[in-house]
Amino acid sequence: MIRHLFKLIWNRKKSNFLLITEMFFSFMVLFAVISFVLYNYHNYKKPLGLNHQNVWQLSFRPNADSVGQAKAIQEQMIQRLKSFPEVEAASLAHNNVPFAFSSWSIDVSYGNKESVETNNYEVQDAYKDVFQLSVDQGRWFGPQDAAALHASVVINQVLKDQLFGEEEALGKQIKGDDSTSYTVVGVMPHYRADSEFAVEEPALFRRINLEKAKPDQLYASLLIKVKPGADVVFEEKMVKDLSRIAKDWTIEVTTLEKMRQSKAKLTWVPMMAMAVVCGFLIFNVALGLFGVLWYNINRRYSEIGLRRALGATTRQIRNQFVGEVLVMATFGLLLGLLLAAQFPLLHVFQLSAEIYWQGIGAAALLIFLLVIVCAVYPSWQAAKIHPAVALHEE
Amino acid sequence: MIQLQDIEKVYRTKTIETVALNRVNLHVERGEFVSIMGPSGCGKSTLLNIMGLLDEPTSGVVSIDGQPVKTHSDKQLAKLRNEKIGFVFQSYHLIHDLSVVDNVELPLLYRNISGGERRKRALAALEKVGLSTRTRHFPSQLSGGQRQRVAIARALAGAPEIILADEPTGNLDSVMGEEIMEILLRLNREEGTTIVMVTHDEHMAHKTNRLIRFFDGQQVADSLVLEAQI
Repeated sequence: MIRHLFKLIWNRKKSNFLLITEMFFSFMVLFAVISFVLYNYHNYKKPLGLNHQNVWQLSFRPNADSVGQAKAIQEQMIQRLKSFPEVEAASLAHNNVPFAFSSWSIDVSYGNKESVETNNYEVQDAYKDVFQLSVDQGRWFGPQDAAALHASVVINQVLKDQLFGEEEALGKQIKGDDSTSYTVVGVMPHYRADSEFAVEEPALFRRINLEKAKPDQLYASLLIKVKPGADVVFEEKMVKDLSRIAKDWTIEVTTLEKMRQSKAKLTWVPMMAMAVVCGFLIFNVALGLFGVLWYNINRRYSEIGLRRALGATTRQIRNQFVGEVLVMATFGLLLGLLLAAQFPLLHVFQLSAEIYWQGIGAAALLIFLLVIVCAVYPSWQAAKIHPAVALHEE
Repeated sequence: MIQLQDIEKVYRTKTIETVALNRVNLHVERGEFVSIMGPSGCGKSTLLNIMGLLDEPTSGVVSIDGQPVKTHSDKQLAKLRNEKIGFVFQSYHLIHDLSVVDNVELPLLYRNISGGERRKRALAALEKVGLSTRTRHFPSQLSGGQRQRVAIARALAGAPEIILADEPTGNLDSVMGEEIMEILLRLNREEGTTIVMVTHDEHMAHKTNRLIRFFDGQQVADSLVLEAQI
C-alpha cells in the first residue's frame, strides 16, 4: 500500500507541487526556529558558574578634583559598606560585570601556541565571595599574590582547554597582548557572565591591587553581596550614607537579577517574535492544507466509491488519505533535509551538529503531526461517503 | 449464489418518500448470466448496488452463498466485495493517475498478497481482455472500448465468482459494445463466472441466459432468454 501511495503521489506530482513546496518551506522555517530555540535552551541548561542572587551593583560617576581624591573617597565608601551588617562581601570591578552590556577582551598566549581572545575581568579578592565562585583546580586570589613576580590570574576551563589542552595549567605563565606575564593560580569549572543564553567563552580574572594601581585608575563598579531580606529601606539608607561620604557623586544601584532579566530579553524577544511569526505561518499552512485536502476529497468522490466497491474498508479509505498527505510531506521533507543537512555538515554558524540534527528531527516530527491533524477530519469525511452515492459522481 | 428476499428500498427526505425497490425476490444461480432491463429510474442500479453490498435495503434479506449479510460488519462486507464480487461500470471508473496495470491491481491492494503476485495476476487479467500491450499506458491514452476492457480486467484480477456490470456497453459504440459483450460471454461460458448485467440494450440482453424486467421498482418479468425470444 505504501508503494501504491508513493506511486499515486509521484504520478500526481504536478498537481501536488505547490503543496510539496509549502511543506518544504514550512519545514525549513520550523528547522531554523527550532534550532535557534534549541541552541538557547542548551545554553540555558548549562551552569553559569556564578550565583547572582542578592548581588547589587553600585555604579559611580565621581565628582572629584582628581582621580586620587576620587579613589580616596571610594576607599571610604567601601569601608562604610563593609560595616553594614547586611553586606556580606564587596568587590570593586570594571563595568564588565555579569549581565552588563559591556565587555573587555584581551589576547593571551601560552608558549608558541596561537593566542586566544578572552574576556578579561579585573576584580578584587572578595569577588569570589560576592558570586560564590568555585575554583576546582588551584585557588582564588589572596593577599599572598600581592608580592608575586608575575600577576596571578584565575581562568575558566574553556580558556584552559584552548591554551593548554590536556596539559596542567597551574603555575604556568601566559602572556597578555601587552607582553605582560601572568601566572595561572586557579581554574574555574565555569564562568558564563554574558547571558544565560550565551555560550561560555574564555574568561581570565586579574586581581585588583589598589596599592599598585595606576594613579589614574578608577574602578566604576562596586559589587556587593547582601544578606537575604535586604530591601529598599536598606538601599535608601546605604545610598544616603554613601552620599554623605561622596558628596555630589552620582550613585546608581541596581540588582544583578534586574540586569539578568534585561539581558535575557535580548534573546527572549527575538525568540518570541520568531515563534509568533512561525506559528502564524504554520497556522496558515494548516488552513491551506485543510482546504486543499477537503477540495481533493470532493474531487475524488467517485474514486472513493470505486475503492469501497473494490474492497476497501472505511478505515482503509481514511488511512489512504492520511497516508497520501504523509507521503507528500515526506517528499517536501526530503527536499528540506537535503538543504538542512548542510548546516551540521558544514558547521554553519558554529553551532554544534547535535542541535541541528535535533532541529531537523523536531521540525520533521512537527510537520508530520501538522499534516496528520489537518488530514484526519477530511479523511474521516471521505471514509463516511456512501459508496453507492459516490459511484454515481462523475 | 445471490439471494434477495422481500427487498425494499425507500429513499426518504423531509417531504418525499421514494420507493426505489418494492418487495423484490430474486435468486441468481451460480454460473448464470442475468440481464436486468427497465426504464431509467426503475431501480436497476439500486438493485445492483444492493446485490454488490454497496447499499443496504430498507427491509428484506440479502444472502451471498446462503449467508445473510445483514449483520456483517464493514470489514466483513468489504472482504466479501473484494473476494467474491467484481464490478464493471458504465463510466469505467478508472483512476487517471495510475497506469493500466496499476488500475487492474487495485482490488488486490486490499488483500494480503505480495507486489510481485499482484503484478502477475493483473497482467494475466489484462491478457484475458487482450490488453497485454497496453499495460504501461494511462487511461487517457486509451479508447472507450479499451478503458472498459481495463475495467473488466480489474474486475477479473481478484478472480471473483460474481461480476456485477452496470451498463457496461452504455458509453460505447456498437462495435466496441459487441467486443465487451463477447468478453463477458466468454468469461461466463469458459470460466463459469456469474454475471449480472444492467442494460438498456435489448440486443445485448438477449445474449444472456436470463432476462429480468423492472418497472417502478418492481420485478415485472423474469424469464429465460430463449423463452423470451419465443
